[in-house]
Amino acid sequence: MFERFTVQARDVVRGAVQERDRWGHRSVGTEHLLLALLDEEKSSVAGLLRQAGVDPERVIAEIDRKVGRDTEELGDRDAEALRSIGIDLDAVRSKVEESFGVGALEPPPPRRNRRGLFSGWELSSPFSPRAKKVLELALREAVHLRHRQIGAEHILLGLIREGKGLAALVLTDAGLDLTELRRRTISSLDQAA
Amino acid sequence: MSQATDLAAAAGSTDPRVGLRAVVALRRLLERLEDVQVDNARRQGWSWQEIADVLEVSKQGVHKKHAGRPVGRTQGGS
Repeated sequence: MFERFTVQARDVVRGAVQERDRWGHRSVGTEHLLLALLDEEKSSVAGLLRQAGVDPERVIAEIDRKVGRDTEELGDRDAEALRSIGIDLDAVRSKVEESFGVGALEPPPPRRNRRGLFSGWELSSPFSPRAKKVLELALREAVHLRHRQIGAEHILLGLIREGKGLAALVLTDAGLDLTELRRRTISSLDQAA
Repeated sequence: MSQATDLAAAAGSTDPRVGLRAVVALRRLLERLEDVQVDNARRQGWSWQEIADVLEVSKQGVHKKHAGRPVGRTQGGS
């Protein structure tokens, strides 16, 4: 599937992976795809999104408010959350390590490169089911529009069509009309063609 | 000033975001602890049935969840 992605669309997907790393999240979600689409250096739809009224600063603030940073499993945020109900994660960890060795509470390394649509794509960590759905819908949108290649525009169309992820939520919360955004995206594709 | 921080703390304690986030963290801790303990039980030769009995779940359930799962970085426990 990824051989049909344009260089720019690949940059967007890579950018999403970088966003995931920057935020310290576990998997690449729709919010990371949106952040990558807003990156003017990588994405041809960054300008379109801005014109439609999407403020990158506000998107970042909303994502921070909704999911926050560093959601690493049993990382600092989890430790803080557990402290709020009176559990000392460090104490639990050291007890477990006393019996089972250092690192006993760390999750095992994730299984990689399962078969499927994304098996050919080099990923250090998987996409969330919703983000995968967005990329599949990007392909479907391209097929539907009879475009041979999948560009950043199609990823945005996939994001809109999926419609339920954090990215779509952030956009609609900001007062954006997704149907209108879809129309604008398609017309920018028509202009480019 | 201290009144404001007290208020903030009091408001925070009923903030669903804080409470729900704690549930997520606790679930993660529970899952990891279960993995560690099941791995240890298996190493000590416990059957799936024995593990299931103590965990108060079905043998099928515990087998489905833990058999074939990558084993964590645990050692010892003998």
